[in-house]
Amino acid sequence: MELAPSVLDLNWQEVKMKIIRFIKDYFERTRAKGIIVSLSGGIDSSTVAALSALAIGKGKVFGLMLPEKETYNAKDVKHAELIAKKFGLKKERIDITPTLEAFYNSIPIFDPADNLCKGNIKARTRMVYVYYYANRLNMLVCGSSDKSETMMGYFTKWGDVAADISPIMDLYKTQVRKLAYHIGIPKEIVEKPSSPALWPGQFAETELGIKYEQLDLVLYGLEHFMKAEEIAGQLGIGKGLVEKVKRRWLATEHKRRMLLTTKIEYRTVGADFRLPCNTP
Amino acid sequence: MQHAIITERIDMKEKFKIALAQISCKCGDKTANIKKIQKLVSKAKEQAADLVIFPELSLTGYVVRDQIYELAETIPGPSTKIIEGITRKAKMHVIFGMPELSEKAQAIVYNSAALVGPDGFIGKYRKMYLPTHSVFEEKRYFRPGYQTAVFDTKLGKIGLIICYDIFFPEVSRLARLAGAQLIVCISASPAVRKTFFEALTTARAIENTAFLAYVNLVGIEDGLQFWGGSRLIGPNGKILAQAKYDEEDFVTCDVDYADTRPVETFVPTLKDLRPELFENLKEAAENL
Repeated sequence: MELAPSVLDLNWQEVKMKIIRFIKDYFERTRAKGIIVSLSGGIDSSTVAALSALAIGKGKVFGLMLPEKETYNAKDVKHAELIAKKFGLKKERIDITPTLEAFYNSIPIFDPADNLCKGNIKARTRMVYVYYYANRLNMLVCGSSDKSETMMGYFTKWGDVAADISPIMDLYKTQVRKLAYHIGIPKEIVEKPSSPALWPGQFAETELGIKYEQLDLVLYGLEHFMKAEEIAGQLGIGKGLVEKVKRRWLATEHKRRMLLTTKIEYRTVGADFRLPCNTP
Repeated sequence: MQHAIITERIDMKEKFKIALAQISCKCGDKTANIKKIQKLVSKAKEQAADLVIFPELSLTGYVVRDQIYELAETIPGPSTKIIEGITRKAKMHVIFGMPELSEKAQAIVYNSAALVGPDGFIGKYRKMYLPTHSVFEEKRYFRPGYQTAVFDTKLGKIGLIICYDIFFPEVSRLARLAGAQLIVCISASPAVRKTFFEALTTARAIENTAFLAYVNLVGIEDGLQFWGGSRLIGPNGKILAQAKYDEEDFVTCDVDYADTRPVETFVPTLKDLRPELFENLKEAAENL
């Protein structure tokens, strides 16, 4: 198999329609009143918010903007507002700084220098807000994780990944960019560097140690059972880098699974209790 | 391997109308799905069709996982009895898919197709090739069938196959060699496999010089999107009818068995069969 960038090309109109059908179908089955998206102003949340609006109609999608002091970025807020306007979303902006500070001040072992642990509080706090709104307004939470970050475990467990549906989770980041263009997400949002914005100056590609254009091809190769040396050879990168990506992918499976337990009884949740998720 | 050849009636129609009922199902809700079948049988009647074909596991939906054990029924059984009532009243033939419970055990289930006609139940076919890879987990739930099935009906000899069976030319070939004039493939194929099925449905019709009706599921079950695209293919590979992609559809088309004769002379695949190669094939397959 040749690992050229073209392997990631899809018929974007077909992909768009497939995702729209998926969102609409699930929305109608659950008889929810709307869909809520945590709108950061980044490409992923902009794309799922737009697709949700296209699927169930303007005015039924709620974009919740949850900025906080430490990582506040006026451009991101502007981009979130732009998406809300362009796709006719209902919106609300809440500064979550006081909530975060309450957490920081009430945790005896809190260490302000530990960016990761602190950043995860931010992602999980946003999840609490989003789910409160979803419960209160009888809405579904639409997640915006893409395949690259999901495979790399590059998300906060029970945080930003928490959702009822995750419509772009089978698309790599570079594919999301193409889909985003196809559905009319503005260039300035598509092309800005991705960041989870858990601490100032955090950028995805710097943290992952690889550009998405390369990472996606490495992950595509792994998805297709290619060996690390084959992938490295074809992409002209070090085998060590491919192995690092592979190790990270395998080591983070615990973040993608629900409720690992040990088998004791006849049928076990998450193991051989196999039920469909076909909400009547 | 044996063939089940069941004779319905001798006074056979050479020319008749088929309806491809490309539906989405309500998973786990047999009552709702039977209601839909009944409605479409009436529609087929209005359009003077003689046979209506529904997708694989259309009685229950495809992705029912562990619920299969409570949904499975014997064939004949309660649901085929209801369908018999519908077909007797409408003087119609119906082919549909359902999980079949063995009469001899409590948790042995087959992925079956049932053929019911104006005079009642005609026969059944148990899927032989059960996909258990990618998103499919059929071997976990189903026992494979061990015989091809061709039924001698008022609409000619009808052979039944189910979905993944079509990847194995021997299933259709055996049905054809048992005399099938029309091969019916009921299916629940998700979107990523569209190109395979479009090629294979045409190939099976051409290589067997037989009509082939393919009826696929649509809708979304457990995140899987079924693509539809049901079609009737003539013995020369021509697509005689084609249903829409990705949405429910109902198309009818005439079948005229007289169209088979010129194809059998033009591309005489059955005349040119080399039985001795099948022995080689068997040996090679055993040593893969």
